[in-house]
Amino acid sequence: MIRARSDWSVWAWRIGILVAFLAGWEYLTGIKAISKTPGLYWIDPFFISRPSAIAQRFVQLAGPGVRLSIWRMALSTVQSTLWGFAVGITTGFLAGLVLGRSDRAARIFDPFIVAFNSLPRIALVPLITMIFGFGLLAKVVLAWSIVFFIVFFNTFQGARSVDADLIHSARFLGASEHQVMRTVIVPSALAWTFASLTPSISFALIGVVVGEFIGGESGGGLGYLIIQSLGTLNAADMMVALFVLGAIGIVMALGIRQIEMRLLRWRPEYQKR
Amino acid sequence: MARLRIIIRDLSKTFTQGPRDIPAVSGVSFDVCDKEFVAIVGPSGCGKSTILNMIGSLVAPSGGEILVDGERVGARPAPQIGYVFQKDTVFPWRTVERNIALGLEYRGVSAPEIRARVAEAVRLAGLEGFEEAFPATLSGGMRQRVALMRSLIVNPEILLMDEPFGALDTHTKLDLHAELLALWGARRQTVVFVTHDLSEAITLADRVVVMTRRPGTVKIVYDVKLPRPRDVIRVRESEEYLREYGEIWHTLGEEFEGRAS
Repeated sequence: MIRARSDWSVWAWRIGILVAFLAGWEYLTGIKAISKTPGLYWIDPFFISRPSAIAQRFVQLAGPGVRLSIWRMALSTVQSTLWGFAVGITTGFLAGLVLGRSDRAARIFDPFIVAFNSLPRIALVPLITMIFGFGLLAKVVLAWSIVFFIVFFNTFQGARSVDADLIHSARFLGASEHQVMRTVIVPSALAWTFASLTPSISFALIGVVVGEFIGGESGGGLGYLIIQSLGTLNAADMMVALFVLGAIGIVMALGIRQIEMRLLRWRPEYQKR
Repeated sequence: MARLRIIIRDLSKTFTQGPRDIPAVSGVSFDVCDKEFVAIVGPSGCGKSTILNMIGSLVAPSGGEILVDGERVGARPAPQIGYVFQKDTVFPWRTVERNIALGLEYRGVSAPEIRARVAEAVRLAGLEGFEEAFPATLSGGMRQRVALMRSLIVNPEILLMDEPFGALDTHTKLDLHAELLALWGARRQTVVFVTHDLSEAITLADRVVVMTRRPGTVKIVYDVKLPRPRDVIRVRESEEYLREYGEIWHTLGEEFEGRAS
């Protein structure tokens, strides 16, 4: 791990790049191609907006009394993502553990799992919407259908690759089959499950946003805001939604990393040096 | 004659690898008495670990039989058997003390008693200060100490050890020999110790079973007459040690020569 001494220079670089990017954006979208002719820009802010306009729209959307309040949209997206994530992890973990420890069940279910997993999940969006409506539930189901398989495959691998000698040692120490499961198989499989959490949260967010593209206002969410902005050709609103989405993604990934570091602190790569 | 704890009669094991049958062990017979320390040595691939695994129910014999305290070994290891693997089998997600506590936890021993017994084991193994450490932060020797104490804390009457110190450097190995002899001297478990290191076998054991090349069978069983308690360093300088080492070394050497021809 990089220590505090170099932290400030890393942060200085990050902030510097961000400021340069935003300033360049603001500047370039302000230069007219032919002077005085309105609407003709080298880089047209109509399509990509400008940081100043985005900030302005953000303040408006964050204020009271707006139809598509950015807070309400963000909350809806976060809620659906976390639900889909939580349900996906739980079910994926349990399924992976059961099939991973039973050769017979694994053989029986294998073709079904491969078939369902190779189906592009986006193709399911209309069907899921048809079944679960335009609300929160459809988005949760969509996120779940992606997270489930990521976690499932990882846990399945983990449960299958438990070191046989660890199981033997537990038995020599007097462990019952139930105790072997609890103290050897579950902890080994969990290490693999945790490794799938970071991709899972990103994919949960993708699933939810795609669900919001097609879902109506009752489902809401940042995906809905993006599609609305497309309808009104409002680049500033779209950029606000994208920035907020990015911020949500970062916060969630950092949160997962914290949890992972805590739960996997026994692993060599997480040991404090 | 002391009570026989392990009786091995005409034991054989054949592994099937694709279309071929590979005999690993054939016609092995020997006994292990109560409180006796027996080492099995032999060239690599002679099936010495396989014999240990069969005593511990990890591998099913193809022929012959093994009796542990009069009972034929079955699919599950007899409860009085403890096993120390060559490979690192300390649970990486458990701290040192929680690893040592495993066997007591499995038996439903009360928390205060577990604490007291684990503290004692930690002290005996010289692991004070590392109770809360995860195995990833420990050296190989310390991890093997944890594995040893984890097996010993449940007081197994029979201890099977499969090259437990094989992966350690010479100094660590000698330290652990001294510790093992001290612990064994106090409790006198019946030990079957597999190794390819002849000096280790003579230093530790009462008897050394010398195996032939594959398919392994018992070539000869030596009585080690070195007096106990033994000092693991000084014992190697004694006349008796050198004489026994030379004799067994010569016997083992015949096995290696046999391979070349």
